[in-house]
Amino acid sequence: MSLKNQGMYGHAIDRRAFLRWLGWGGGMACLAACGTSSTPAGKGQKVIVTFWTPGGGGDFCTGLDAIARDFEQHYPSIAIAETQCGTGEQEFNEVLLARIAAGTPPDATVLWTSPAALAARGSLLPLDALMQQAHYAQAENWPPAVLASCQFAGKTYGLPVTAGSCGLWYNRDMFEHKGIPAGRDDFPRSWDELRRLSKEFTVWKGDTLQVAGFIPWHAVEDLATWSASNGSQLYDAAHRQYTIDAEPNVAMMEYAVDWLNQEYKGDFARVTRSGNWEGYEIEGRQPAFIDQRQAMFLTYSWNMGLKIFAQSASTWNIARLPVGPGGTQSVAGYWPNWLALPKGSRHVEQAFAWLDYMSGVGVQTWFRNFPDLPANLKVPRDLLPTALVDGKGKAFAQDIMNFFRDQLDSATPMWDSPVQDFATDQIRRALEQIMHKVATPRVALGEAQKACQGALDKVLQAGA
Amino acid sequence: MTHRDGTQSHHRGAKTGVRRAARSRRYLAPMIRHVLLVAVAIAFLVPFYWMAISALKDNSQIFARPMQWWPNPVRWDNVLRALHYPGFPFLRFLWNSIFYAGCVSLGTVLSCAAVGYGFARLHFPGRDLLFAITVSTMLIPGIVIFIPTFVLFKYLGLLGTYAPLIVPAFLGNAFFIFLLRQFFLGVPQELSDAARVDGAGEWRIFWQIMLPLVRPALTVAAILSFIWTWHEFFGPLIYLSDRSQYPLSLGLFAFRAQHTTEWNLLMAASTLATLPLVIIFFCMQRSFLEGMTLTGIKGS
Amino acid sequence: MAVTRAQQARRGGTRRREARSGLLFVLPWLLSLLLFTTYPVLTTLYLSLTDYNIIQPPRWIGLQNYRTMFTADPAFWTSVGNSAYYALLAVPLGLAGALGLALLLNTRAQGMGVYRTIIALPVLVPPVASTIIFIAMFDPDNGLINALLQQVGLPAVGWLTDPTWSKPALILLSLWGLGASALIFLAGLQEIPPALLDAAAIDGAGPWQRFWHVTLPLLTPVILFNLVMGVISSFHIFTQALVVGGTTGKPLESTLMFMVHIYRTAFRYFAMGQAAALAVVLFLAVLVVTLVIFRSAHIWVYYEGSRGSNQ
Repeated sequence: MSLKNQGMYGHAIDRRAFLRWLGWGGGMACLAACGTSSTPAGKGQKVIVTFWTPGGGGDFCTGLDAIARDFEQHYPSIAIAETQCGTGEQEFNEVLLARIAAGTPPDATVLWTSPAALAARGSLLPLDALMQQAHYAQAENWPPAVLASCQFAGKTYGLPVTAGSCGLWYNRDMFEHKGIPAGRDDFPRSWDELRRLSKEFTVWKGDTLQVAGFIPWHAVEDLATWSASNGSQLYDAAHRQYTIDAEPNVAMMEYAVDWLNQEYKGDFARVTRSGNWEGYEIEGRQPAFIDQRQAMFLTYSWNMGLKIFAQSASTWNIARLPVGPGGTQSVAGYWPNWLALPKGSRHVEQAFAWLDYMSGVGVQTWFRNFPDLPANLKVPRDLLPTALVDGKGKAFAQDIMNFFRDQLDSATPMWDSPVQDFATDQIRRALEQIMHKVATPRVALGEAQKACQGALDKVLQAGA
Repeated sequence: MTHRDGTQSHHRGAKTGVRRAARSRRYLAPMIRHVLLVAVAIAFLVPFYWMAISALKDNSQIFARPMQWWPNPVRWDNVLRALHYPGFPFLRFLWNSIFYAGCVSLGTVLSCAAVGYGFARLHFPGRDLLFAITVSTMLIPGIVIFIPTFVLFKYLGLLGTYAPLIVPAFLGNAFFIFLLRQFFLGVPQELSDAARVDGAGEWRIFWQIMLPLVRPALTVAAILSFIWTWHEFFGPLIYLSDRSQYPLSLGLFAFRAQHTTEWNLLMAASTLATLPLVIIFFCMQRSFLEGMTLTGIKGS
Repeated sequence: MAVTRAQQARRGGTRRREARSGLLFVLPWLLSLLLFTTYPVLTTLYLSLTDYNIIQPPRWIGLQNYRTMFTADPAFWTSVGNSAYYALLAVPLGLAGALGLALLLNTRAQGMGVYRTIIALPVLVPPVASTIIFIAMFDPDNGLINALLQQVGLPAVGWLTDPTWSKPALILLSLWGLGASALIFLAGLQEIPPALLDAAAIDGAGPWQRFWHVTLPLLTPVILFNLVMGVISSFHIFTQALVVGGTTGKPLESTLMFMVHIYRTAFRYFAMGQAAALAVVLFLAVLVVTLVIFRSAHIWVYYEGSRGSNQ
């Protein structure tokens, strides 16, 4: 039976209307292709430098834009395009690498990934020649261990404009309450002293850790520092060797496990769940240190600018790291933000002028917005975090700033491996296994060593 | 009474017998249905509710333990602060999202209906192999092939525009091609045969007979492609260069800072980004009912 | 069997015309495959046989990536195990749940529109926000899920902090996204001619028999679709696993899914050649599973519209 008789042809839209839709849709697509494409606004004769950052939030990026405007006053022939504010570390790497591969990278960029690792793959431009002519960024103006994070095969590929250094923060009120001397020079000098002191404070209430003295090292970012304070290292850049499972390192982790067993019931998971033992708010939970539930912990300089620390009710101070059985002198760790020029950057000299300005001048404004410690030695020592001055007074703030800047002088080289992120993941995995008693320190570190050395050899072989 | 699929029904008289027998069970089934639906609805509503009330809390209270079910104090100004957050021009982003998702949805439905029909009802050499290849393309992890694709678009000179994001949608999408093909395969053969006998061309059969018959599937395709494009951020991230072109999905990243995230503002912005979708979805899903009103059923 | 006029019409010149129409209908997709798929796919295949860090030119190393993957990369096997565990549980649960939801929603009763919107809500929420919400819900100490469990007298579970429960938590998260497949099932249910159900009712079939003998068989094309897509998407799970477990699949690598491993190999370790090889292996594995499903479809899938040709 014919469908025509059943009147089925009437409902649908006719061909003309369909073609109209298609044309409309296609037209929109074309408009999209042409109409919304944008080019940086021409600014006359100026050279326009494109600049990216992995992230940091809206305020941070508008802060960078403000610094850019100041820069343009000093360098009228250069214009910095609006900062491309990224989506966070991981996606940023993807996009940056894709752009470099396609030949359209930004002219300059902030990096949250070690420049040494990127440089080992030819993604960055060497800066040594440019640094010689610079105002602030000469090689001698950077603490050598910190600059090492940007170096590969004898050349420098980035500038560590900010490098938060670390210290052993301790709660003076809690010390004085127990009658323990609370001056910086009284602080424990060795691991054994630290451990003995920690025991004075730790209190368990049933299954919950009520108060902690000091929780032994368990974070991958700090491990290189602790290894160095024990006279060893995780990565030997000079010989391009990993030494993760060297005897001192195994001993270091066995020490930590023993400490965990003795003082923390051997249950790291329970410790983690009992409180926020870090230096920043996690999911609305205050750090235990602020709540007077933690006597000592290792954290970095940016904390001094955070309101909860700068304006805390309790009194605190910071001391140098104690030394392990195998170590001879106190060391410090650091965590930088880097600036670099990607391979394919179009206006190298102008972009480097921007980097240079950021190193010495821009970074001061950056610090006032977010307390990331400037690393360059030419940055004046009287640069102080406002929040801390307001909260604890100028003298204290100056003392703390001096402390952190001095710490960079005794920093241990880190972030300098061509396979940095791979190693971080491997060591993090090893630490997790050690802390949760899934593997012994020797076995876990051994596995990490094997993996990291293998990856390193592969990269060096390829680059050779 | 002529039903949608062309068959005739003469059974009106016999139905009363069935109705009498089912009367006592008439209220039980719908009631169970409602209880189950309410339970499921609550389970699905809770995360959205959490997001919406977090938008109105102080940042420190969002993760407070135990959980707060109602904000206290209620911070309506969070909404304003989110709308005026530096680097987050909400209306601009909203327009970009509507434009982007709308174009992609339109292109997807048009192209995938045609291609799906081709796979389902028309025989041509290599059809089955081509369909197998189509499904296979969905097995390829996007994160690996995006760089060659990106380089390809660079050589076409289309970086910095919406073209790489919208034009491929008008050429088809394996997921929706597969979906529509399955639905077209469910339509009885007699209909298109009869039309062919009448002398109708393939295009006319497709356009005037087959398409209306798969209307629910078309609606689903339109809705889903709109929603997924609305959430798509990686494509815009790599292909767009100007912040003023960003859709909402990218704009939300403005709230993620390095040391502290303002969760309440992020939740406020996320809620604002979801509401247009909710409204559009609610309007579009009503066309599901259309299939039913044509035939007048009493519930399945 | 008498040859129908329709079948007569299909022979001869009309067959050629049909083939031409078919190709025309499929043309846009052919273009897309040629332009946007062939080059990237072939490139990926090639890259899997090289050492490639995205920046420098690829260096040919033959099958070394594959050898490393199978013999020198313990994370490979861990992620395969995790992905398989996840898929084996998430796919059947998701299928059954979506079908159940669609059946519940398939009436003309009042307020169905509201219910449908609510069911679809998790799909409408931005993925970043929904994962954060999820993490808060599953907090072992103060999250909602444990609070509910304890109300019912069950013990609290470590969820995302416990390696045994982290994958089940991810599976539960995937169930929130049921809205999309439920909608597809709903569309399929709409397609079932009510006349058939009425006829069955008149013949004395109860609701369960109507479902089993009328609804379900007519729904099998859509079930096939959701099954295949469920398998594919469960092996491709990425964003949630990355947010929950980071790039190391914490806790203790229990949330390290295969896609996360590919991702970190490519963009964190800059070993794009290795990542391409992993992608090829993933492709082949899921292809095998999909082929098996399609082959089995001959037995259980019923297509109303193509007598004499299945699949």
